[in-house]
Amino acid sequence: MGRQVAIASAGFSEHASKRSDVSMPELVSEAIEDCLKNAPGVEIGDIDAFVNGNMPAFEGSNIPELWMTDWMGARNKPLLRVTTGGTTGGTVAISGYYTVAAGLPGIDTVLAVAFEQQSQGDTSVGLASVAYGEISILNTLGIPYEQISRLLSAGAAIGVAAYQATTYMNKTKIKEEDLARVVVQNRRNAAKTWWAHLKMPNLTIEEVLDTPYVQYPLRYGMVCPASDGACAMLFTTEEKAKDICDIPVYVNGVASVANETAVLGYDGSGSCQIDPSMQLGAIRSAELTYSQAGISFPRKEIDYAEVYSPFPNQELMWVEKLGLFEEATAPEMYEAGVTAVNGELPVNCSGGVNATNAIGASAMERPAEAALQIMGKASNQVPKTVHTSIGSGWGGSLNLITLMAMSDQPRRKF
Amino acid sequence: MQKVGIVGYYQVKLYSDANYGRYEMIFEASRGALDKAGLKKKDISTVISCTNDYYDGRTISNCFTVEVGGGYMADESKVEMDGAHAVLYGLMRVLSGNHNLAAIWGGSMASCYPYHTVRLYETDPTWERSLAYVNDVTSAGFQMRAYMEKYGVTAEEIAKVAVKNKKNAAKNPLALKEAQLPNITVKDVLDSGIYADPVTELMVAPPCDCVAALLLAPEKQALKITDKPVWITGVGYNQDPYYLGDRDLSGCKSMNLAGKMAYNAAGINDPSSEIDVAELFEANAHEELIFAEELGFAKKGKGIEINSAINGDLPINPSGGALGGNPPCATGLIRIIEAVKQLTGEAGDYQVKGAKRAVASGQVGMCAQNNIIYVLEAN
Amino acid sequence: MIFIIILIIIKNEIKMSEEKVIVANKGLVRADFAFWVGQYLDKFYDGLENKKIMGNKCPKCGDVFVPPRKICGKCNVVIPLDENWVDLPETGTLMNFTITPYRINDRTSRKAKDWTIGMIQIDGSNTSVVYRLLNMEPEDIKIGMKVKIEWNEKTKGDPSDIKGFLKV
Repeated sequence: MGRQVAIASAGFSEHASKRSDVSMPELVSEAIEDCLKNAPGVEIGDIDAFVNGNMPAFEGSNIPELWMTDWMGARNKPLLRVTTGGTTGGTVAISGYYTVAAGLPGIDTVLAVAFEQQSQGDTSVGLASVAYGEISILNTLGIPYEQISRLLSAGAAIGVAAYQATTYMNKTKIKEEDLARVVVQNRRNAAKTWWAHLKMPNLTIEEVLDTPYVQYPLRYGMVCPASDGACAMLFTTEEKAKDICDIPVYVNGVASVANETAVLGYDGSGSCQIDPSMQLGAIRSAELTYSQAGISFPRKEIDYAEVYSPFPNQELMWVEKLGLFEEATAPEMYEAGVTAVNGELPVNCSGGVNATNAIGASAMERPAEAALQIMGKASNQVPKTVHTSIGSGWGGSLNLITLMAMSDQPRRKF
Repeated sequence: MQKVGIVGYYQVKLYSDANYGRYEMIFEASRGALDKAGLKKKDISTVISCTNDYYDGRTISNCFTVEVGGGYMADESKVEMDGAHAVLYGLMRVLSGNHNLAAIWGGSMASCYPYHTVRLYETDPTWERSLAYVNDVTSAGFQMRAYMEKYGVTAEEIAKVAVKNKKNAAKNPLALKEAQLPNITVKDVLDSGIYADPVTELMVAPPCDCVAALLLAPEKQALKITDKPVWITGVGYNQDPYYLGDRDLSGCKSMNLAGKMAYNAAGINDPSSEIDVAELFEANAHEELIFAEELGFAKKGKGIEINSAINGDLPINPSGGALGGNPPCATGLIRIIEAVKQLTGEAGDYQVKGAKRAVASGQVGMCAQNNIIYVLEAN
Repeated sequence: MIFIIILIIIKNEIKMSEEKVIVANKGLVRADFAFWVGQYLDKFYDGLENKKIMGNKCPKCGDVFVPPRKICGKCNVVIPLDENWVDLPETGTLMNFTITPYRINDRTSRKAKDWTIGMIQIDGSNTSVVYRLLNMEPEDIKIGMKVKIEWNEKTKGDPSDIKGFLKV
């Protein structure tokens, strides 16, 4: 059962904090145009099916695919909407893969589109209801609404990330400089990526450490921006991909695993009681993905990684949990330049989520950039030849981890 | 398309005001499906849920359901359409060869939110939404009038569909109590008050609370798990343009194309004779006729001539259909479950005799903008 | 059993420029959802403010859209922003109608007096707009009849500038 799936192209819209010049469907159509521009010979009419997703509560539009139909070219085509919050992009990319892999009659070429236009809607309401997802239970325990918001500090993601950061820092004994170094690398990389949001070619560690805390140990200068943007990926069969592009990127492994409810630890699990930097979901996702892809030694076999990290401590944590570095060694590797563009294992040369975060799209931009690095078409292309790469996603307070492993060679046998 | 087996299912009874916590309901459904199949949680390799952030009133509504839905440390994802679309994603995952047991659950509690207001968020916010003239209520009226005008069908004839489904629902112990009307007449339907003229209140699928779950396995595993698997032999799905003015509301092109895709996969040439029973997600009574015509059970405008009673030539919605209760995000999934019951002979009082092949459908959007249809076959 | 119900009540704001914002809100939790309309609709709403209906025309199939769109879904072609604009009259044809007591704009979707809502094809366009039909008794309404726009006295450059449609 199943068949080989390849990525034939990927495209982006321009990202900015306010894309007020376009409506949501127009933003999406920009990414689709860019994706098809990179895939000569493929027109929108050649697409057999669509997969879409965003984080609906942020814009305030339910199932926006319904009214976007024509803007995507999906009129009277099969369309599926998937969404999992922060990991939506990764989830959409994975369902794009599955739509081709399933081999349904008549479906060979699939366009996967993920997007977010955070400058519209009411994002704080969207975020608040994640953070306070269990507000009814907390209320029955007698914790008032205001208290909950204080406990979780600045909202869902950063509230969780701060706990991850402190436990990770405690384990590795790193300082804030090490966090700032990750930020500097990302934002300097972003300056070379055409679609990125926060481009800071001359940023220094001191400048980052000079900004005020949002929540200890995360400073204002370390936190990802809120962006408007969209990303599109073209998945197709092995045969068709060979016609479309010179170097088809084969999807060899995918997984999306969540560990458990992790808010406040009130229900006997989660960030307060289990080490928040333990990340069982990430470890399990990596196991599943690598076993499908036949990767036994990730550190040696993976040439490039795009890791989802809105906050710098997460980048350090994920590269370890995804098997790229030994436990508690990532900070040294960053200091030694191993992860730089010309390093041994470059990470986030697009600037990553830390420089551009259109939430629904972010987790798709990771595999998209990782695929472009294999094709040799990335904006900030690494000098070495990339054979195998990974792109990950992280979602909300639950630690849902999406992971996609790609290569220029098909690994699985069918 | 390779065969995929449905090896277990469970549906919580429909309530207009379920005395359940959300997680209890999800747990009952997903556990129930496992128990029915005689499986354990560790056998699940992937979980696909179907919820909607607006229906549940929370961002990332699947976020806290991972444990109760059986998704802890399993490969997990969420579809935000109809439950039947979630089954599609589960099916794809099984067909890819990556997974051996997919658990799918979907549902919501319509008693906890203002259904029509939430449906309004589906409309184009840059144009139609602020005035709210386009919504699920008015679009139903437009659709029924377009159908009646084009084919000269009368409101009485469409009311007969509602009568049939409400009477069928009375035989289905899991149907919504308020929709179980064994003595209903055409006059009752027509006099039930204007919903959106010419649609009357009793022609509308009543939103309610429910979670349903389904288990899928590839052919080999399915035969190990149960001796009565039901096979998915075809699936088709399709999306119409959004704006009502861009569509011919008297028909449903997306259902037609979805049907063709599914029939092609299952090798069906003459649907009206090859299909024994249909479970269609009809948001309003007239949609059952439109869908039946688009699926080739009757000529355009002649849907009313199908003998679709439980003992008829082609029984449609013997369970009562969505008119017997419409829990958002679960309705399409329940249609599949009801079709499975018909094929395994577990349908009780509304069993269609000798059913070997069934179709089941799901939909999303105003006037059924996105449709999905399955062809199911008995072992 | 305890239910905590958080009603997020949405009032649409159509954001176009700083001064063009509608504010009205009720409910327990305030959520002002606002949407960028894009340059095509921005031009269209500027027209509405001046009581003028504009559509745009697909360069391939010639279909005229009200409101204007970037992409013709039938042909999958982009309609350039600066071209193919068409000025349209205030008159149109009634394509479909319904009568309903439901007020969906209200957070409880309450029922009130019946009102009539129609799908109107503006003359010269190929799609329909959905608005109220004003001053019409149900027995007067016939599909195919001619109707014309009733403008609001004060226009703001948003969809509510058209009050509804009257019988010609």
